[in-house]
Amino acid sequence: MAAARPGVLGVRWLQRAGRNVVPLGARTASHMSKDMLPGRYPKTPEERAAAAKKYNMRVEDYEPYPDDGMGYGDYPKLPDRSQHERDPWYDWDHPDLRLNWGEPMHWDLDMYIRNRVDTSPTPVSWNVMCKQLFGFVAFMIFMFWVGEKYPSYQPVCRHQFSYNLGFLSALG
Amino acid sequence: MGAHLVRRYLGDSSVEPDPLRMPTFPPDYGFPERKQREMVATQQEMSDAQLTLQQRDYCAHYLIRLLKCKRDSFPNFLACKHEQHDWNYCEHLDYVMRMKEYERERRLLLRKKRREKREAEVAKGQGPGEVAPEVAL
Repeated sequence: MAAARPGVLGVRWLQRAGRNVVPLGARTASHMSKDMLPGRYPKTPEERAAAAKKYNMRVEDYEPYPDDGMGYGDYPKLPDRSQHERDPWYDWDHPDLRLNWGEPMHWDLDMYIRNRVDTSPTPVSWNVMCKQLFGFVAFMIFMFWVGEKYPSYQPVCRHQFSYNLGFLSALG
Repeated sequence: MGAHLVRRYLGDSSVEPDPLRMPTFPPDYGFPERKQREMVATQQEMSDAQLTLQQRDYCAHYLIRLLKCKRDSFPNFLACKHEQHDWNYCEHLDYVMRMKEYERERRLLLRKKRREKREAEVAKGQGPGEVAPEVAL
């Protein structure tokens, strides 16, 4: 009981301190209102238009994820392109993220940042890369096998030693 | 350089010596007074000098002298030219002997093949007949 009294006093102090800083019901500029957060999958065209407006997208560009129970809601399905592919010379609002203020972010933006996954096109296609790599490796394995089967040697007879270690001997 | 490889792999491999099966003829075939080589350095001396197994060949005594000279003349690493030359020359002679052994093996195989061919021809009745004794058949 003796420890409960200071605990109760501490809680009452915190509540009063909190009320002094931010009164109940007041809105700060950093909070998002309920209607700015993602919502349910849009079923009617009006809901689609509202969702597109919410995400600052054109109605014809807006495409939500399929409603298959994965929990995407009305979040837009943007092309799976990483931030590496965006113009490096354009004056982005966030130059590191290559993103503008208010632009709809990809669901996997944290994966597509410039430190992580890169979807930039390669100079040659995947098939060509595979063929080149495995072709080279197969060729090297073949050449090593040829070297094993047909070794090259100097035209001399074997080097003759003379040692006797008991278990190992090459006398004579 | 490499002609023996071409002969062995692309040509007739029965007359080219196989280095893994050398020698196929007795070492004193044609040399009745040939004796086995004598080791100059004893096993105990080679062990004391801590030579690696690859170094314990028939030039080990020169190598032991060279190592002793190197150890005595450190840090003058340019000394011991004489001992170095002795060991190098001994190894060179050893290598020349190996080359000669290989060539001997090759010629003996050729000779064996010629003889077999001649016997086969004689057995079939198409032999060339008697030839002068200088001809090395």
